[in-house]
Amino acid sequence: MSKLGQVAEAVEKYNQFVLAQVKRARWDEKFGRELIKRWNEIKAKTPVTHTPTGLPLPRLALPEIDEPGEIARYLFGEGLPGEFPFLNGAYREMYLEPVRKIETGNYGKKTLADGAKQKADGNGARPPEEPTRLFSGLMLAEDTNERFHYLTQHQRTHRLSTAFDGPTLYGIDSDADGVFGKIGEGGVAIDTIEDMVRLYDGFDLGSPNFSASMTISGPAPIIMAMYIAAAKRHFGSKVVPKLRGTIQADIFKEVQAQNETIFPIEASLRFLTDMVEFTTREMPRWYPISISGYHIGEAGSTPVQQAAYTLSNGFAYAEMFAARGIPVDQFGPRLSFFLDCGLDAEYIALARVSRRIWAIGMRDAYGAGPRGQLFKLHTQTSGRSLIAAEFKNNLTRTAAELMLAYMNATNSCHSNSADEPFTTPSEEWIRLAAHGQAILLEESGIFKHTMNMLSGSPGMKAVERAVERAILDEFREIERLGGVLAAVEDRFQRSQIQNAAHRYEQQIYDGTRPIIGLNKYRNGEDVAPEIKLARTPRKKQQLQVDRLAKFKKKNAEKATRALDKLAAIVERGENCFPALLEAVEVCSLGQITGCLQEVVGRFRPMV
Amino acid sequence: MTLPIRILTAVPICDGHDSAINTINLEFIRHGIEVIYLGYHRSVGDIVRAAIQEDVRAIGISSYNGGHIEFFAEVVDLLRKRGASDIKVFGGGGGTITHDDAATMRRKGVDQIFFAGTSLAEMTDYVRKNYGMPRKTQSRTKSWDIELAWKLTEIEDGLAKGKRLTFNAQRSTSKKTIGNRQSAIGNAKVIGFTGPGGAGKTTLIDELVLRFLKQNPRRRIAILSHDPSVVGEGALLGDRATMINSQNDRVFMRSMATRGQAGGLSPATHDCLALLAQSNFDYVIIETVGTGQEALPFQKNGIVDLTVLVMNPDYGSRLQLQKIVMLDLADIVVVNKSDLQRARTAHSEIEQRLEQNRRDQRLIDTVAKRHRDSGVDRLFELICRDERSRRGKARNKS
Repeated sequence: MSKLGQVAEAVEKYNQFVLAQVKRARWDEKFGRELIKRWNEIKAKTPVTHTPTGLPLPRLALPEIDEPGEIARYLFGEGLPGEFPFLNGAYREMYLEPVRKIETGNYGKKTLADGAKQKADGNGARPPEEPTRLFSGLMLAEDTNERFHYLTQHQRTHRLSTAFDGPTLYGIDSDADGVFGKIGEGGVAIDTIEDMVRLYDGFDLGSPNFSASMTISGPAPIIMAMYIAAAKRHFGSKVVPKLRGTIQADIFKEVQAQNETIFPIEASLRFLTDMVEFTTREMPRWYPISISGYHIGEAGSTPVQQAAYTLSNGFAYAEMFAARGIPVDQFGPRLSFFLDCGLDAEYIALARVSRRIWAIGMRDAYGAGPRGQLFKLHTQTSGRSLIAAEFKNNLTRTAAELMLAYMNATNSCHSNSADEPFTTPSEEWIRLAAHGQAILLEESGIFKHTMNMLSGSPGMKAVERAVERAILDEFREIERLGGVLAAVEDRFQRSQIQNAAHRYEQQIYDGTRPIIGLNKYRNGEDVAPEIKLARTPRKKQQLQVDRLAKFKKKNAEKATRALDKLAAIVERGENCFPALLEAVEVCSLGQITGCLQEVVGRFRPMV
Repeated sequence: MTLPIRILTAVPICDGHDSAINTINLEFIRHGIEVIYLGYHRSVGDIVRAAIQEDVRAIGISSYNGGHIEFFAEVVDLLRKRGASDIKVFGGGGGTITHDDAATMRRKGVDQIFFAGTSLAEMTDYVRKNYGMPRKTQSRTKSWDIELAWKLTEIEDGLAKGKRLTFNAQRSTSKKTIGNRQSAIGNAKVIGFTGPGGAGKTTLIDELVLRFLKQNPRRRIAILSHDPSVVGEGALLGDRATMINSQNDRVFMRSMATRGQAGGLSPATHDCLALLAQSNFDYVIIETVGTGQEALPFQKNGIVDLTVLVMNPDYGSRLQLQKIVMLDLADIVVVNKSDLQRARTAHSEIEQRLEQNRRDQRLIDTVAKRHRDSGVDRLFELICRDERSRRGKARNKS
């Protein structure tokens, strides 16, 4: 049995265990009394908070139960927030006052921002980071850098999230044949370490208040090496252990859904493991992989497929890292997750269930300690749910999705801009998206007074049961196919996602899936929206190409030597990450990709 | 009978958004269109080369990652440069292509851009109405690739209309077209690949092509690849999407739909193959569709020099092996996916089965998906050695 089968079994065993505890609480009086005592203590310890209207509320809401069996069902089956199996949340308190300042997007409004800053400063102990993280990347490195400074000018903590342009995502250079028009489109163009230096210029990369997120997978180890090398150029090599952030580096989901794989699967996984081995040892605060369901969801999967494939991919990575000899308590806490949140009913509890399955699987099938059991989640509202027709409706869609995301106690969240169906979001719509989160978390009383405010309704419980069953069924199916890697090579997940996508489209066309403004309540003529598009001027694209030529000329000789060394190390099967760190000093992204592809081949697309 | 419309679809370079195009492809074939699908992350050069070789009426490009104005324009320009401006360009990109963009793109020679909310039926109607007419003949001189591509179409469509071009006609044409290329080696060696669906024929061929191209920088290869037509509908011809090494200026590839013929080939295969064999390629590779146990696709084609049967280790029981007729005829049998658990059993069972034939058949294990697989190297060597000995014999005779 592969590990995935063991995980499915572990979850079922755990459910049996919960039922046994419920029964025991009812017949074993001593055990029952202990539970009631503990329950009363929890309630007594819960502080009371007051809403602005004066209403007293507990900071942690708990079900009204006093019968030992039901208490056992709650404590073992769900767990308090921050307690195994983490159904209600990875941490005891999230989003609560006084930690409620979402300060993103205060463009130019100094007064409001200053007020917020004072409150934060006056708060003694360092409050947790804001859960808002906005994705950004456009044109050349200096343009994105400027946007980063703009976005974070009033933020206490600087959490940058970087989008790369197409050529970078595919590991090729800006001077490659036919990519000119793609330079700086949809994300920032990065060819060399010099671009990387420009990208984060002016930020204190080693500060505990700084973290960088990089959304890139195929060439992730090369980009990671560039980031480290760029940080070293600025702050010396002592900065390396202090670096904080995330790189996506999720190869499985690329093959299953997003199509940005550049090396054959096994080689890609090997380079990934090389990087994970290095970062979990040398950079203990870095998240070297973000196991992503988002793109699976965006490619058209059902919510259950999204959660099942993401979790099973995560368990497969864990198996791989363990096989390399990395201790589970070294890599376990460095895994993080990224899910899509759309409007289907499953999203009421999809992340809750995922958190529970991950915790049980990591504890019982992988022997992970408490920190390695946490399903740390970043959520993004669904981009696919946003449409071009009558696009302002997208604000409402995103608002509803945000509500669902926070009901699932996500650790951080990105809200999409309503203009996303057209372009890289423009400032006006980014601001509205960021403020959507502020309105939900700061202005409304839904999340800021009480943890668990909306957890545990009968409907939510019903969704949890149905979703968990369906995810375990998916696990068993993948297990039958020989595990995640075998199923991926068999195109199983890919074709399942495609089928689901076709069904979704079909439902839109035949009207069984109402999309307001598109197939229902349509406003007659399609009016072309007037949106200012963020396009990269040709001049800038040419500048990028020229810079790259200069870099290549300057380093020509050194580059050949570095690439030969890299190729030899890959050929010998050693960990290539240290050689990558050297190579990025003198080689461009495309040169390194080409060198690696010579040795391990190119990815053969699955259609 | 109306002839099927052939179009090529693709997603531009640095773009992996293939969800829309997958849906559209299926809708097209449902309406009798033959779609050659090139896949995602495809360069302008790959798209134009494929469109010319496949002699399609139009190229449909689905772009969601920006840079569409330049990309579409580059496709139109390169088509013009190659003398193939009869091939039209259309496409879409949901909301990423604005109405202003579309107007610019039309000015630059793009036929049509579909916006978000366009129904599949509208797109299909558009293609049938605008690309359903026969191509206007062009009087001015055509490039070698275009001439060959048009000739293949003539054979294929002629057969569909019940006319068969005589063999002589082809010969004369091919001589004419090749004319200035006569300096290269003589006739091509024709290698036929067959085997059940999912055995990995396409990947294996592509890996061999990579080796052919690397071994000799002047070597030219033709590939005739087959995919089944859906009953009463079009066909999805998708081999190019996985054959990454075969998208090369030294490779001429043609994808054919079986158009109702059973047995793994098209009614036009024989004549097309004959033409390619005389068109100055070093190798002509022909790949059948996934075949059943009784299939003997190359039997009546005297043109195939070497037949390769590609097997999947999971063929079932030993008894199933006895029923595979092609095992009696293949020159080389390949057990691909030999990293699978069952591969060793498969190898010894097939070995025994071949021994009964008492012919000099060769059995090779490969893992085609693996880069630089030693099994594929051995197969390549075997094909080349066979080539040398054949040439040697020919020289001795003369």
